[in-house]
Amino acid sequence: MTESGLPKHSARWLAWGWLLIVLAIAGHNLYLWTGARLRLDTDILAMLPQNERDPLVQGATRQLADAAARRIVVLVGGKDWAMAKRAGDAYAAVLQTARVSMALRYRVDDDAAATWLGFFTPYRYGLLTDAQRTHLQQQSPEQLAGEAIEALYRPLAMPRIGAWHDDPLNLFGGWLGTRAADSKVRVTDGRLSLAEGERQYALLMLEQQGPAFSLAAQQALLPVLQQAAQAAAAHGAQIHAVGVPLHAAAAARQAEREMHTIGLGSLIGIVLLTWFVFSAFKPRLLVMLSIAVGLLAAISVCALLFGRLHLITLVFGASLVGVAENYGSNYFSNRQGRPPAERWAMLREQGPAMWLAMLTTVVGYALLALTPFPGLRQIAVFSAVGLLAAFVTVLWWFPWLDGGRRMEATRLSRWIGGGRGHWPVLGRNRITALLLVVVAALLLAGLGQLRSNDDIRLLQNSPAALIADQQTVARLLDLPGPAQFYLVQGQSAEQVLQREEALKQRLTPLVERGVLGGVQAISDWVPSAARQAQNRAVYQQLLDSPDGVLARAARLLDEQLVASPRTDRALQLHDWLAAPVSEPLRAQWLGRLGDGYASVVLLRGIQGVAKLPQLATAARTVPGVRWVDKVAEVSDVMGRYRVLMGWVILAAYVLVFAALSARFGRSAWRALLPTALASALTLALLALLGQSLQLFNVLALLLILGMGVDYGIFLLAQPDPDEARPFLSITLAAICTLLAFGLLALSATPALRAFGLTMLFGISLAWLLTPSFTTAFRSTSTGSC
Amino acid sequence: MLMRCLVALLLGLVTLVAPAADLAQSVRERLAQPPVLRGEFEQRKQVAGFKKPLLSRGDFIVARERGVLWRTTSPFASQLRLTRNEIVATQGGQVAFRLDAAKEPSVRMINALLFALLNGDIDALTEHFGVDGEASGQQWQLVLTPKSAALARLMTRVSLSGDQYVRQIDIAEANGDRTAIRFSAQHSTPSRLSGEEAARFD
Repeated sequence: MTESGLPKHSARWLAWGWLLIVLAIAGHNLYLWTGARLRLDTDILAMLPQNERDPLVQGATRQLADAAARRIVVLVGGKDWAMAKRAGDAYAAVLQTARVSMALRYRVDDDAAATWLGFFTPYRYGLLTDAQRTHLQQQSPEQLAGEAIEALYRPLAMPRIGAWHDDPLNLFGGWLGTRAADSKVRVTDGRLSLAEGERQYALLMLEQQGPAFSLAAQQALLPVLQQAAQAAAAHGAQIHAVGVPLHAAAAARQAEREMHTIGLGSLIGIVLLTWFVFSAFKPRLLVMLSIAVGLLAAISVCALLFGRLHLITLVFGASLVGVAENYGSNYFSNRQGRPPAERWAMLREQGPAMWLAMLTTVVGYALLALTPFPGLRQIAVFSAVGLLAAFVTVLWWFPWLDGGRRMEATRLSRWIGGGRGHWPVLGRNRITALLLVVVAALLLAGLGQLRSNDDIRLLQNSPAALIADQQTVARLLDLPGPAQFYLVQGQSAEQVLQREEALKQRLTPLVERGVLGGVQAISDWVPSAARQAQNRAVYQQLLDSPDGVLARAARLLDEQLVASPRTDRALQLHDWLAAPVSEPLRAQWLGRLGDGYASVVLLRGIQGVAKLPQLATAARTVPGVRWVDKVAEVSDVMGRYRVLMGWVILAAYVLVFAALSARFGRSAWRALLPTALASALTLALLALLGQSLQLFNVLALLLILGMGVDYGIFLLAQPDPDEARPFLSITLAAICTLLAFGLLALSATPALRAFGLTMLFGISLAWLLTPSFTTAFRSTSTGSC
Repeated sequence: MLMRCLVALLLGLVTLVAPAADLAQSVRERLAQPPVLRGEFEQRKQVAGFKKPLLSRGDFIVARERGVLWRTTSPFASQLRLTRNEIVATQGGQVAFRLDAAKEPSVRMINALLFALLNGDIDALTEHFGVDGEASGQQWQLVLTPKSAALARLMTRVSLSGDQYVRQIDIAEANGDRTAIRFSAQHSTPSRLSGEEAARFD
């Protein structure tokens, strides 16, 4: 045995030291998973940056989103109320027996209106609608007195609360009617109900109590809802169930299903491949061990760093750590056919190329972490840590664990490795000219058609049925949209309410012109104290003045009518917030935010995207009011980050080229150009397929860089066409990568599909092109570059 | 006025209970319930706190296919129109009050209930009221008590009496107002709306 056949003393220490770290990581994982201490996010939007500019907007959006994320709304529709009621009751009964963790609102006090009246009646003289105020200002007292008397004879009006002489114009009745018209939900038969034309609906609302949903709670809820829907459908009813938890659960189920199918498919493929190449399972077991160590380390570090983990990080990250496949397969490809004792020397010889390969990939991942996407940062940390840990496992453990037996080359490994000798090599030959023409044609045809589309809605991939239900329910309930709203801020709660009132005044003409269906604001229910005082003064003029409406009406009717004494009590915001009547709007009050207070004014029935600029303009005219268009902002941010990511990739090319130059000198371009060409061709092919470019395609290009360069490094380090081992190594790695990522092209999640398709093209092309650039001519193996 | 009370439905209520079968049957036998019913009314309304009752007169049309037209001629000219899709009160050609079924689903129920009251449709009335009463010879009387708390908060009692037509309706509102409506000159021919009448429904 030569000296090079022995492990260095330090190698033993490294192996034991790594064992200690791995044990600690394993223990941490055990702690995380057994106690369900790891929070798994499922909402794909959590991967996107929170509004980077304004923490206030962020807080407002989060509060609105949190409120929405806890709620499931179910509409049970029948051809008449009797059917809707029977079906709604059946639905509720299933929920009650199943004891879901959510609070159900369905059966309510038959006299819910009494609760309303009881709450508002003491403050009635402070409450007027904007339309009422305008009307009272425009009409003379004689006209108003005439109206009051006419209304006495009029057969139909809003019900009057209290004595006629206390409210001859029935302004309070009108106010209540306007407020009631804000919502289409009614109480029928002691149940929440809704009608549209002939169709009647029972309305059930489920609200999660306490902290937001866990994935497990969501998953447990779905079968119960399904069972409830079946029970209701048995009565002939139609069921529409909507809510963020349903979307999240559907997404999570799909991600899980795909992890099972795609994950299993790639595992089977990879195991079979290893068996045929190495005629043993041990290499596969060790490679899997290295990846497992990588994953556990990645989970540990992410949990410590972020406190939570996104499901998408797991899906992406697990795949990205799969790149560690490269190192394990490189180890065994080089180990095969050599005497076992040479493995230490082999590692020392291979070490530099492997380190370079690993570092160039980690550089790509690390640059990802510089982007402001929390999701991308998580993925970057996850995959960089995972890759590093897996790499270290290969380097420090494999020689000890591979058992030191002989590994003979198999027929398949010889056949694959021998492929390199037949690969066309670029130079002054016909194949080069042909390649140039094909590449140039593809690039010209494709890149010209390259389009980008950053619309955030492309990422939405909820089942069509769920989206249809969503639209039906939004139409039936006439709910304000959560994506666009006004954020109103002020020094005090009173100022916020006053600014809301000023804003609503600006919006009135837009509602009249039909730009907007309506507005939903806290100040509809609780006018500012200033406004309430004005309203009380209006009532005083109306009721107490000798020239007032009541006095004039009394003279016309020849009656002695005197208004009862009134109190000056104003309705306080905190009283309203604490009362059950505020429940539907409570989420719009953001409370203390920053150094002041804030609320959200929601909009109903925005007539098309084209009208949005008009609404944005309205915000500018009132101090403290800001227009927030979440969909546009996020799409815009996605677009800017796609561009940013493009620059990150270019920067990575420069860094990688510098690293390659340090190792390969003037030949460095040979390791890099095939990957660059593969990426450009991939873009062209995507364009020709009609795929528009989005962030996730660009993300894949970064990984193609990381992996493609590995192929270049391994081949260029041993350029001789007869060096079969590096070619075997990169071919195995490429096939495994395609099995892991190419299969993602089958995913139903648009983001993953875009990513997978890009990887499929990019990795295939990088594998195909690299040998042609990095293999020396047989005749002139020392040829210039 | 009686119809004002029906707006209680805005606040929501419907209860389905089997009608008092025998009474319903005997009242139904006596009522004509034609496709188009025309007639005149005299309404006396005693508003709580007023010395004198308010008196008004006018005519009405109840058309099964279209809805209800309630036209006051004295002391003011005004009209109330209830159709499937809206409730509109006009005064001298000006709209004084409007409820749209698209915005307020209860409009359809109010329409149905008013139709039931004017036509004496006891089956429809039992959805909202407990029904008591008697029938002898040509005559019948009914006393309706609201079933739901929401309706009870607006009206305490409705009395109906008549023969082949509803002849009188008395309403006691919860706020103390009392309304008595006497119908006269009811007739069911012609059984179709004239062109002029139909136009008033549009």
